[in-house]
Formats: sequence, C-alpha cells, structure tokens
Amino acid sequence: MMPGWLRALLPLLGVAGLFAVPRVTGNEYVLALGVSFAMFSVLSGGLNLVYGYTGLLSFAQVGFFGIGGYTAALLVTERGWPLEAGAACGGALAALVGLVIGYSSLRLSRHAFAIVSLSFALLCMIVARDWVSLTRGAMGIPGLPVPVLHLPGWSWRLSRPADFYYLLMGFAVIAQTVIYLVVTSRLGRAMRAIKLNEALAQSQGISPLSYKLLALALSAFLAGVVGGLFVFYLTIVDPSIFDFYYTETMLIMVIIGGPGSFWGVLGASAVLAALPDLLRFTTDLRMVLYGAVLIAAMLVFPGGVGGWLRRRGLRRWRRPHPATP
Amino acid sequence: MDAGFYLQLLLNGVVIGVIYALVAMGLSLIFGVLEIVNFAHGEFYMLGAMLAYFLTMNMGQGYWATVVVVTAVAVCLGYVLYEALLASLEGGGFERSILLTLGLSMVLQNGAVFLFTTTPRMVQTSQSYVNLVVGDVRVSLMRVFALALGLLAFGALYLILYGTRIGRAMRGVAQNRDAALMVGIDPRAVSRLAVAIGIGLSGLAGAALAPVYAVHPLMGFSFVFKAFAIIIIGGLGNIAGAAVAAVALGMVESVVGGFLPLVMVDALVFGSMIAMLLLRPQGLFGRGVRV
Repeated sequence: MMPGWLRALLPLLGVAGLFAVPRVTGNEYVLALGVSFAMFSVLSGGLNLVYGYTGLLSFAQVGFFGIGGYTAALLVTERGWPLEAGAACGGALAALVGLVIGYSSLRLSRHAFAIVSLSFALLCMIVARDWVSLTRGAMGIPGLPVPVLHLPGWSWRLSRPADFYYLLMGFAVIAQTVIYLVVTSRLGRAMRAIKLNEALAQSQGISPLSYKLLALALSAFLAGVVGGLFVFYLTIVDPSIFDFYYTETMLIMVIIGGPGSFWGVLGASAVLAALPDLLRFTTDLRMVLYGAVLIAAMLVFPGGVGGWLRRRGLRRWRRPHPATP
Repeated sequence: MDAGFYLQLLLNGVVIGVIYALVAMGLSLIFGVLEIVNFAHGEFYMLGAMLAYFLTMNMGQGYWATVVVVTAVAVCLGYVLYEALLASLEGGGFERSILLTLGLSMVLQNGAVFLFTTTPRMVQTSQSYVNLVVGDVRVSLMRVFALALGLLAFGALYLILYGTRIGRAMRGVAQNRDAALMVGIDPRAVSRLAVAIGIGLSGLAGAALAPVYAVHPLMGFSFVFKAFAIIIIGGLGNIAGAAVAAVALGMVESVVGGFLPLVMVDALVFGSMIAMLLLRPQGLFGRGVRV
C-alpha cells in the first residue's frame, strides 16, 4: 500500500503533468486528444454522478451538452456576450431543462426517466435541425469567432490550440473536483443509498426526488458549460452536436470504468478518448464495436473495471490472515 | 380547405397510426411480461423494412410473400433474441436490460450503416402507383394494404391474448408476476413467446411500410422515439392503451402536419408525453403506477 500523503499527491502530480503537456510539445494532434479527453471526462463524470451514484440511467446528457453549445454560440455571436457568460448561461439553461424532464418523469419510475431522457435527446437533434429561425437548421452556425475570456484583471484571447487545451483541461479539473467533493460527501452517500435501496433510504429520512434532481441538475450544468466551451474549439455548432455518438461514448466510458467508481470512470475516459483514435477505426465500425462491448459487459462484467477492483479488494480484506508462527 | 382534404389527412393518419400501434404494442407487450424496455425495438422494424426491400427488389418476390417471410423471420429473430440475450437477464435489474438492448441497437444500426450506407432506398413494385379513389379522397393501394395488415395483426394479437391458454398466461404474468409463478406458469415459455410476438409485429410493421416510405438504416431510430411516447401516453405495459394512443397520435400528427412544419409535430409528440407524465403518470388507460 502506498502511504496516505502519496495518495493525496498523485492527483496533483497528474494535473501538473497534464498542464505541462503544451510546454513540452506543440503537436496539435496530442493537444486535440487532450481536449477530447477533457471534454469526455466531464461528460462521463456527470453521467457517472447521475447513473453510477444515483442510479438514473440518463440518455439526456448529450442534449444538455448541445443546449450549452448552442446557447453559448448564439449569445456570443448574436448578443456579443463574453465567452464565460455565454457558457455559464448555457449550463444554467441545461440545468433548468434537466430539472423539468427529471421532475416530470421521475414521478413515475426510473423506466420512464430512461425513456423520456432518450426521447429528449432525439427531440433536441430534431429541433436543432428543423427550427431554422433559431438554430439556422442543418448548416448550423459556422465560423464562431475567436472568443475572449475575461478573468479578473486579465482578458485571455483564445487563439491557439494550446489555449483551448488549457481552458478545457482547466474546466475539467474544476468539474472533476466538484464531482469528487460531491460523491465523497454526505450528498454522495445519500445518492448511493438511493441507488442501492430507495425505500430504505426514504425510511432514513432521505428524500429521493430532491437528491436525484440535484444530481441531474449538477451534471446537466457541467455538460452544458463544457458544451459551451467545446463549440468554440470546433468553431462551429450544428445539429451533429446532439449526435448519439457522444451518448454511446460516454456510456461506454462509465460502463467500462465501473458505474459509481470515480477513478475508474476517469481512467476509462482517458483510455477511450485516445485509444479508438489511435487505432483509426471508422466511426460506424467503432460504434458496432462499442455496442458489442456494451452487450458483453452487461452479460459478464456488469461492474466494470472499478467494480472488479472493489470486489477484489473486498475479497482480500475478508481473507483470513495466515496464522503467524 | 374542404372536407375532402381533412378526410384525406385523417385517413393517412389512421394508416400511420395503425403501423405505430404494431410497433408500440410489441414494445408494450415485452415491457409488460418481461419488465424490459427494448431499446432495440426500432432496429427490428428497420431490419424488417430492409429485408422487405431485398426480397422485392433483388429477389423479385411479390408483396404478400414478402410480408409473410419477413414476419416469420422476425418471429424467429425474437426467439433467438430471447434465448441468446434476454433470458440471462431475469431479475438482473432494469438498467442492465436497457443497456443490453441499447448495445444491440448500436450493433444493428451501425452495422447496417456500415454495410448498406445511409442512402434511402425505395421499394417499387407494379402496384406502387395504383391509387384507390373514393369521392375526393385518394389513397395509394400500398397504404390500404398496410392498414389491412395492421388490422389483421390487431385481430390476431387479440385472439392470442384472450383466446388461448398461453395468451392468458401472458396476461397473467403481466398483471402479477409472482402470482403467475405460484399457479405454475412457466415464465420462460411466456417470455419467449412475448418477445417473439413483439419482434414479429415490429418486423411486420417494417414490411408493411417499406413500400410507402423510403428504407434506410436510421429509420428505426426516429420511429422508436414515437413508440416510446405512445407507450408512455397509453400507460406502460398496457397493450390496448398503446394501440389507442398510437392511432390517435397518428391522426393528430397527420392533421397537424398538414398545417405546421414537421418540427412542431415532433415537439407535439414529446410535449404530450411530458404533459401526460405530469397530469396522469399512469397513462391514459393506466392500471396504476408500477415502479
């Protein structure tokens, strides 16, 4: 076992390492993989909070992501808002929408929530494609300007790929810290109790609906903000931001990493953000592979890597100690 | 705008509603008996339509032969689906079943895109452009056939559920699983048949609609969106409710679609689902909320 101080130091070292990457290499491919990892880690972390910890299977995350993207893009281009205000507004709107669909469907059952969240994601794509006067239809909003971030005493023009690397990685670190603080606090314990046994949690004075809505709104906010930042990296927002590809990818990250395992999901996000790209699969084939992985995982490996590690740890802990002579 | 125009829209709506009903009833039946929401349901509709396309256009089969073959293949696929994947899930939690069927849907849909590309294909036969004209209303023969097939399937499903022993057993399991087990109903046999019928109906719907709409690998995806709304509106697990909601939705959609842009129609479907959940969570004809 490693000592406690080393355990606490490792994440800090990891963050420092990630922030050192643009200083070591200016390679745009490496930076693009880093941006993709940062974006997916926030999406999968949010999904893990909702599904892994609270037990709500949500397909709506991609909708929140896209709503954040569209809101930020429209506010910055049409109203001339600064980036941080646009992205925050996108996150807030996503959280509000999340509360509406969560409140209406969770009254019935978790089945209904899963169905409604999927329908919601599909509806988002249809609205983005067909409500031309707001979203400009299938062409989307191309040529988003180079955004400027106004921090206290410093305005930051994001013109180089490395700037976006720092921005998205910085937000990912903040988001992961928030998620970590939530899941290791009383809130996280209550959410886990609701997932494991809702009736028992209720009998202990936990109100399931408010915790579920909290998890959903927080994850929607994070997804919305990261969507608002990510579209400026892409420099375009179009209906493909609601593509099912994002849902499938973040779902596979959570399943492989282990629902309800913070470090497992983070690790799976890192591996799966880089690996398929390095292996150069076509998108269709990658989705077929992801689907097959999902089926196999459900049949033989439902806990993911995180669940497997936890079970192994429990077994070791329960093993009788050999008698010392 | 004369009465004939409205009548035309209503009639088109009934046809599409009956086909929605085929897909939604299968979904509802599988949910009622197995408590599994089959996210791959739309893909079997797509496979049915694709198979119908290849049978008519590449093998030169006639309409009725195609419909029979596609339905039979879909029923067999349902058996295989149950035995290979769903049977191992018994009591395994609803997330597992959703994720499993979602994975299946990804494999089928993206596999079809990979093999056949997303190009829409049209099924054209000698009867494709034949219209029936009654007064002001003209309906293509293919739509009439689709309507007839749908009504035939309604009747067959009704006979199975209410006229046979296994149908009664199926309703018994859907109403109260534990009690059904206690009186000696074999849940495996009942579940297997429910999945086979559900998938069969989906395949039949695909074959019936193939000559009316374009066939492409992504068609199941948008179709299942409506089927989900329908089973929520009709009450989860309520088969008759799903049928009524489907026909009503088809008619509303067709009439509204005659005046408003398409996006409003989809928003209307989603909005009515949310409204139903807020006002009457058990659905229009719900038998009480099940959690």
